[in-house]
Amino acid sequence: MNATRDKTHMEFVENWAKKFRESPAECKKIQNEFINALFEKNANFLKRLAAQPGGPEKIIRLYRIKNVKAYEELLGIENP
Amino acid sequence: MNREVSDMNILDSFCEKFCNVVKKHMDYVVVSGFVAIASGRIRGTEDIDMIIPKISREKFIKLHEELVENGFQCMQSDNPEEIHDLYLKEKTSVRYTYKNRPVPEMEVAFSKDILDGYQIKTKTKLPITGLDIWFSSINMNIAFKEEYLKSGKDLEDARHLRIVFSDMVDEKEIEAIKEMIRKLRL
Repeated sequence: MNATRDKTHMEFVENWAKKFRESPAECKKIQNEFINALFEKNANFLKRLAAQPGGPEKIIRLYRIKNVKAYEELLGIENP
Repeated sequence: MNREVSDMNILDSFCEKFCNVVKKHMDYVVVSGFVAIASGRIRGTEDIDMIIPKISREKFIKLHEELVENGFQCMQSDNPEEIHDLYLKEKTSVRYTYKNRPVPEMEVAFSKDILDGYQIKTKTKLPITGLDIWFSSINMNIAFKEEYLKSGKDLEDARHLRIVFSDMVDEKEIEAIKEMIRKLRL
């Protein structure tokens, strides 16, 4: 990150915090959409990745999954 | 607490569900990034950090079993004895998620020093979050982020908390906690 980005981003953080303090319910709706979208995007991506050759192994490495049994459906492992 | 379920996002509902199980067994405190996010900071995270007191294997087994009954899985192992003895007892955190979903995750660690003990002792509820869970105090979070973690993201979190909770910020307490951090962690 360069200094200009740091400065302008901190300004965004400050302005958002002030807005949240003034109108938490309104801001919470915006925040919920943002956060839910991140997780929906992630879930859709993992489904596509799991269907690729070598995809399940990448997911295991990505999240350092040791208890593979708990994620069999996500990884597309059938009848282990 | 007067609240609609739709007011919650995926992180909120995951965290509250997890905390509702843990609170039946022991004290806990949610710390760090999720404190800022639950308080309106607009950024993502994959994990929520939780500190619990150091507990016996037997007590942990009961907690783990109830977490599994409620749809949670530990990413490191499905054997609670192993999770307790090889990870938590050895000061290594473990991660719980919903079954078949690697995120979001709850990163659980045992309290490791008097600073963690102080976090549990001074835990607080934050009505503006809309969540009925125990958070580490605002002053504690600001001190940790400014003195110990210090990344750009952490400094922004601290700034956000300072503005949203300006009436709760206590500079003397923050400085006292920073001094404890310098003695115990740096």
